Amino acid sequence: MRGAAQSLKYLLLAAALAYPLMPFRDVYVLHVLVLIMVYMVLAMGLNILPGFCGLLDLGFVGFYGIGAYTAGLLTIHYNMSFWVIVPLAVMNGAFFGVLLGAPTLRLVGDYFAIVTFGFSELVVLFLTNEIWLTRGPLGIPGIAPISLDVTWLATLMGIDERWRYAFRGEVPYYYLAMVMVGLVFLVMTRVEDSRLGRAWLAIREDPMAAASCGVNLFAYKVIAFAVSTGIGALAGAFLARWTLFISPDMFKFWESFLVLCMVVLGGLGNIRGALVGSAILIALGEVLRVALPKLGLPAETRFLAYGLIMVIIMRFRPHGLFTQVAESTMQSSLIKDLRARIAARRTA
Amino acid sequence: MLEQQLVNGFTLGLIYALIAVGYTMVYGVIELINFAHGEIYMLGAFLTLSFISMGLPLPLAVLLAMLAAAAIGVLLDIIAYRPLREAPRLAALITAIGMSIFLQNLAMIIWGSRPMPFPKQALPAFFSEPALTFSDVTISWMQVIIYAVAIILMIGLNLIITRTRVGTAMRALAQNQTAASLMGINVNRVISFTFALGSAMGAMAGIMVSMYYNTMYPTMGYLAGVKAFAAAVLGGIGSVPGAMLGGVVLGIAETLGAGYVSSPYRDGVAYAVMILVIIFRPSGLLGRAVTEKA
Repeated sequence: MRGAAQSLKYLLLAAALAYPLMPFRDVYVLHVLVLIMVYMVLAMGLNILPGFCGLLDLGFVGFYGIGAYTAGLLTIHYNMSFWVIVPLAVMNGAFFGVLLGAPTLRLVGDYFAIVTFGFSELVVLFLTNEIWLTRGPLGIPGIAPISLDVTWLATLMGIDERWRYAFRGEVPYYYLAMVMVGLVFLVMTRVEDSRLGRAWLAIREDPMAAASCGVNLFAYKVIAFAVSTGIGALAGAFLARWTLFISPDMFKFWESFLVLCMVVLGGLGNIRGALVGSAILIALGEVLRVALPKLGLPAETRFLAYGLIMVIIMRFRPHGLFTQVAESTMQSSLIKDLRARIAARRTA
Repeated sequence: MLEQQLVNGFTLGLIYALIAVGYTMVYGVIELINFAHGEIYMLGAFLTLSFISMGLPLPLAVLLAMLAAAAIGVLLDIIAYRPLREAPRLAALITAIGMSIFLQNLAMIIWGSRPMPFPKQALPAFFSEPALTFSDVTISWMQVIIYAVAIILMIGLNLIITRTRVGTAMRALAQNQTAASLMGINVNRVISFTFALGSAMGAMAGIMVSMYYNTMYPTMGYLAGVKAFAAAVLGGIGSVPGAMLGGVVLGIAETLGAGYVSSPYRDGVAYAVMILVIIFRPSGLLGRAVTEKA
């Protein structure tokens, strides 16, 4: 069973690698796949806060937007290279993350959720109203694409004319997105196993106990916030240089909710789950986008399905689809067991 | 000009207050931010529209819409929140957002996504006429009716909470659910009653807003819900008088902010107030200091 899952994984990876080179590839499918990868990065980034630290962040989209606008504006005004813009966008996202995080991280639960939500709404209001900077609701069109046309490489390698398409257009973007997902995935899995990741899990399971074991709650939460918002901004920067148009509408609350759905669907705190959740929800969204108008419904009603799916998953699998038993349940059953023993001893 | 804006802000504030009490009562009893409450407000307006187009007179349509909204509120709790009482709080919050999106899109399917006017012929003609005029300040009949209805509903709500058995049970639940259930209180029934009461008030707010601005649209609950929630936080979440005060303060702040500071940022006032209150005074204006249960 385990072996089968493993081979399926490699098979999928090989298929994903080979797809753009196949003669039957489709531009629309390629676009959807790149979109899935952008959301995979977002979901892995968001996962840090609710998944690892137990902090419900409803304002993640704000940092996605900050990253996208940083990249878009720098490209438009200074014509900077993508490779310079990415670190700047990530730093900008992390900067705003710490700016919001530092005063709010002592809040827990619902209050934290609401403050982050309010922040992301303020970001959208800013993007909509500061027309001198952002052109407001019109958005920023004509962002230059990443210079990924590497046909010279094909010439250099003496590659046949039939395979040249692999070196321009969507295909290099596709592979760049794959590299991005791979890097973030690598970093996240390494972090999960590190001292940092364990400190985050300790904070999620029991902040008081973690603090009394010498975990500096504030420092670790600020790091979590900076890493999470930095990854959000990274996805935004890529998006801006890929869609070549950004507008405030693309960064509304529903996007936050969608990414949260992906993380929760896969199982909070589960990195692989975040990847699967993104793939399922984006694919479902595309299917509904095509199917709903045929039923005479506006395409926006696909959120109806998202909402319903979330309610149903929470009802029957509050820990997500792919998590067997979450640590928190184990912990609570452990505590129940302990309590039962103590009670038994008292009566004896 | 200032006086006129105060009058308009007060009108808006009473409406926020009516929605905010629904948030605060539910939060007080089960410690859940009922994200779908704004959608109940929106449904109140659309249900009234549908009842009127079925030929019912206005008062009956309003009454039926309130009853229907109360029933939807109770159903919401039974379907989406009750199964998750013992689950992690994150799960319930996500379900609440899920229900909000579901109801909003359901309304879009039923009534279409374009804004609809409130049926003019159902409203008495004098509603839009000025009731009182002091030099340059006018108060329309519509505003007088909003004041009267909101204030009567809030007095009634306070009487229910402080004078009746079910109100006492609600307050007991807010204090300690286990102890309340040991005293023989049917916890689920009281929670259902809380949802019904809050939803009926929220629906009334939605009905009055759609009359006041003469428009309704399926996404109207989102912003109003956020603002009412900000009002509830401002007043001290869990406190019913706090929600009323918070609503009025926020309504006036928003109108003045839009008039004197920056009108594009009028919605930003609510977010800014909410963030600042949560950071600096999480217990709000009238709330008691609460230590949050993780």
